[in-house]
Amino acid sequence: MANVLLRYTNLVLVTLFILSLLSFLLAYLFPGQALENLTGLRLNELSELQNSQIKYSVDNNIFVQYWHYVGELFSGNWGVSFNTGLPLYEDVGRYLPASIELSSYALLLSFFIGLPLGFIAALRHHKLTDYSLLSVSLLGYSIPVFWLALIMILVFSLQLGWFPLSGRISLLFEIPSITGFILIDILLSDLIDKQSAFIDALRHLILPTVSIAVVTTTMIFRITRRSVIETLNSEFILAAYARGLTPTQVLMRHGVRNALIPILPLLAMQFPTLLTNAMIVESIFSWPGIGNWLIQAIYQQDYPAIRAGMLAVSVLVVIFTMSIDLIIRLTDPRRRRAERAAI
Amino acid sequence: MVLLDIKNLTLEIDISSEWVKALDKINMVIHEGQIHALVGESGSGKSLIVKAIVGALPKRWRITADRMTWKGQNLLTMSAKARRKLIRKDISVIFQNPIESLDPSLTLGKQLKEMLPRDQLTKTWFWQRNDEKQALAIKLLHKVGIKNHQLCLASYPHQIANDVVQKFMIAMALASEPKLIIADDPTRGMEVTSKTQILKLLSRVNQVRGMSVLFVSHDLLAISSMASYMTVLYCGQTVESGDLKQLRKRAFHPYTQALLDSAPSFRKDLPPKSPLSSLDGTIPTLHHLPIGCRLGPRCPRARRECVETPQIRRVHTHFYSCHFPLHWDAK
Repeated sequence: MANVLLRYTNLVLVTLFILSLLSFLLAYLFPGQALENLTGLRLNELSELQNSQIKYSVDNNIFVQYWHYVGELFSGNWGVSFNTGLPLYEDVGRYLPASIELSSYALLLSFFIGLPLGFIAALRHHKLTDYSLLSVSLLGYSIPVFWLALIMILVFSLQLGWFPLSGRISLLFEIPSITGFILIDILLSDLIDKQSAFIDALRHLILPTVSIAVVTTTMIFRITRRSVIETLNSEFILAAYARGLTPTQVLMRHGVRNALIPILPLLAMQFPTLLTNAMIVESIFSWPGIGNWLIQAIYQQDYPAIRAGMLAVSVLVVIFTMSIDLIIRLTDPRRRRAERAAI
Repeated sequence: MVLLDIKNLTLEIDISSEWVKALDKINMVIHEGQIHALVGESGSGKSLIVKAIVGALPKRWRITADRMTWKGQNLLTMSAKARRKLIRKDISVIFQNPIESLDPSLTLGKQLKEMLPRDQLTKTWFWQRNDEKQALAIKLLHKVGIKNHQLCLASYPHQIANDVVQKFMIAMALASEPKLIIADDPTRGMEVTSKTQILKLLSRVNQVRGMSVLFVSHDLLAISSMASYMTVLYCGQTVESGDLKQLRKRAFHPYTQALLDSAPSFRKDLPPKSPLSSLDGTIPTLHHLPIGCRLGPRCPRARRECVETPQIRRVHTHFYSCHFPLHWDAK
């Protein structure tokens, strides 16, 4: 157990080191002066004194520079944006939770739809239910996310007018940011009409969440279906039937758990795709998330922002996937070592 | 008393949109308290028979039989629920692959307790149940010769040595106190000491509790040490069945003879360094089954008549199906 923990921590540390190295090198690979790309400050706009102070540490060799860079990263000084001049650390801290919120709702939604549907299709394998669900999932799988989002806007907000077009919450509400997750913030705030604010935020959430969730749901559905079919065809399920257990007993006691174990790591692999889709959808719905922010930064060639945004997103992905892997590794009984004792 | 009576059991499998008879008119009768051996090469359909008996075959395969009864009740026409109950109560199977046939994510203890039938439990309250189940499970493990019950019950299937898992499977099979234990090649891939332990265990179960055993194997030495009756299977057809001693003394079917000859330990007169006898060729695949007697192309005594399936003939308790049986000219 301690061994496994140590190995995974090691892996995460090495990966994070490489990521930080890459983000540092990006400053040199982008056009313009490396120092400007790192700090976001225009050197010619600074006073003579500051300029010479910064230049002083740049003149050291590259390893010393990297050391300084990492030190600044940890102290929360990520530089400022070229365009707005705002500190990047606070920007990322404000936009990233919005993205995480959107993605996690989409993930939850796809879990609650995809998993049961996958089980149903697998239990009705080679039957009409299975085939129809499979073909519908193929449709959902092949629809491009941005197109789906645009169609949703067209139908549900422009024609039917059920849901708002863009944004996170109506401008009428002023929600103080505490956690960065809007629904939690509303509940924590001391507004007079909390309820209407909550409903308004929910109405803003529905369209982007659904458009991200469609693709993820089909993926989860297909993975679940495959895994359940494989599990139900395995020998121990046949053996359980041969022992005279009822189909419900076999499914509940032996089928479900063993089908779910291989699903989780595959789901962790889907997280980057989910995040990419979330970024696209954010920029369509003008959702104030990291994706929208990053795409704006790319348009405006805001190199410090690109560097910081990429670092933040990749660290998030690495830590998320690694922790899911670790949880699976620690809980999966099939990976447990044998105790050395004679029986 | 006849426990299991199978007459003309035929199983058809759908292979690339063509129905192939994987089992062709199998006959078998198992009496109470008998150890019945089912012998055949790999791929001759031994495991299919086992699965057909307990109903663990895919639903799209076609099973037909003139008779397939358990103590007079027809297994093929009864409802799935009734059949499941009957199997739960009276028949236990020990599978070929002990580790594969156990749930990999549950401890052995939980799986063993699952098999304990309700009517063995005397205590009524649910908090007493678990203790009672634990005690019963430990008792079962001691019966099959597993001493370290604590560790065994708390382990997962992959953590335990193969022969111990096989003993555990026997304990699981004994849990419901069945009338018939079907042991599907229980000693596969084991070395001699654990093999003898398993075989002894099975014959003791047979003697002490009077349980019948259907012993499926290709290990003639093991069979001759414990079984009393033998059915020989070739490529989905029963070629010969009869009392084991009689069969060994006087096999009528050329295949049985070849099988017996291929085991050197049965031939005391075999001179040193002489070539071991075996039939030419291999067992045919399901795609290329010969018509008539399926042994035909490999049979040393085959003649033109062998393209027709031979009828079952009977001499006392000895059944065989061959047009040109051995030892017949002499008689």
